[in-house]
Amino acid sequence: MNSIPRLHLISDSRLCPLDRFAALSRVVACAGVSAVHLREKMLPAGELLAAAVVLREALGGSATLFINDRIDLALLSDAGGVQLGEGSLPVSGARTLLPPGVLIGRSVHDVAGARRATEDGADFVMAGHVYETASKLGQTARGTAFIESIASVVSIPVVAIGGITPERVGDVMRAGAYGVAVQSGILAAPDPETAARSYTEAINDAG
Amino acid sequence: MASGTGFRGDRLRKALRVYVLTDRSLARGRSEREIVEAAIAGGATAIQLRWKTGSLHEAMAIGRELGDLCRASGVMFVVNDRVDLAIALGADAVHLGDEDLPIPAARRIVGDAMVIGYSPATLDDALQGERLGADYLGVGPIYGTATKSDAGEPVGTQRITEVCRSITIPVVGIGGINAENAGAVIEAGAAGVAVISSVVAADDVREATMRLAKAVQGAIGVE
Repeated sequence: MNSIPRLHLISDSRLCPLDRFAALSRVVACAGVSAVHLREKMLPAGELLAAAVVLREALGGSATLFINDRIDLALLSDAGGVQLGEGSLPVSGARTLLPPGVLIGRSVHDVAGARRATEDGADFVMAGHVYETASKLGQTARGTAFIESIASVVSIPVVAIGGITPERVGDVMRAGAYGVAVQSGILAAPDPETAARSYTEAINDAG
Repeated sequence: MASGTGFRGDRLRKALRVYVLTDRSLARGRSEREIVEAAIAGGATAIQLRWKTGSLHEAMAIGRELGDLCRASGVMFVVNDRVDLAIALGADAVHLGDEDLPIPAARRIVGDAMVIGYSPATLDDALQGERLGADYLGVGPIYGTATKSDAGEPVGTQRITEVCRSITIPVVGIGGINAENAGAVIEAGAAGVAVISSVVAADDVREATMRLAKAVQGAIGVE
């Protein structure tokens, strides 16, 4: 079993085109990013597979590759994890398709969803959105109280997502988060490597 | 995970004769289960779970029902687009298009038993599809259709003849096919016909499937 990563980077081709994402991921993995998620819903599966393979090779063993939603792509790219949402295959079904040790994260938006994810055997939940974020305009920020409410009822790690800056990591982790997931905080930073290092230090300080 | 039950050779060809695809938006409120039960009762030989919107959680639940119905009747159960869903459901076949996983990649994870269908956009794609390991092709749109607005201009039965002349795997025609024009598709060389609206949107799904099956059998020359 892989250990569960604490600092997740999630792709967003609007912020960083996929052809640059692999190289950037490699750099930030050396600065403490421990999971890199390929999450591009609009691409044809063949292109996603090619991107996943490139990303997997770029990362080597430096960070765990997570594929969003698609178990088939995760199998083909030898990913170390999958991230499932409300619309994905059920965690239990996904588990039977994946080799032992592949991590399954489940994205949740309420306490009931987090409970179900735990019962279904997810390795961790990703919960948000904690703060207001440009990538999810119009979605209500739920605040650190939301993380607290989830962390208090589930036994698996809670990874917080949504507008988390290095300065906010301490608050989020004190609320019970095990780790954080980031898009623009790293992808849109003037220096992604420095940003990744700031997150890593903030997580280490809070832990 | 049991996947694929060996629809190969003549068995595959026969399973492709009357191939019905689900489409919730055309089913007029009837469940996939209801449509598929009636289609199988009317002589459908293959059922494809065509899942374009909605959660895969629900697709799993519905797919389990349809898979059970198909297995109980020896009907080939096909899952559209998603290879992982096909494997999870233990489907007999997965059907891929150009937006889906490439055929060789799909083959690596489904193994040899599962049938792979492919929808080529051009004659070249058809040749390529066979070369890459597809087990059958879906060729169309043969006639004009309202179901797939992105399906492009009708290619006519002529395309079936062209494709069948160039490849050895079986071909099913798709797009605007009904009991009246199905015979021409078979006569052009198709092993079968794939339909959505002429069955799924029919008042009487069983009867519509029976009429289609009769037209196909008549053109093939079997009872």
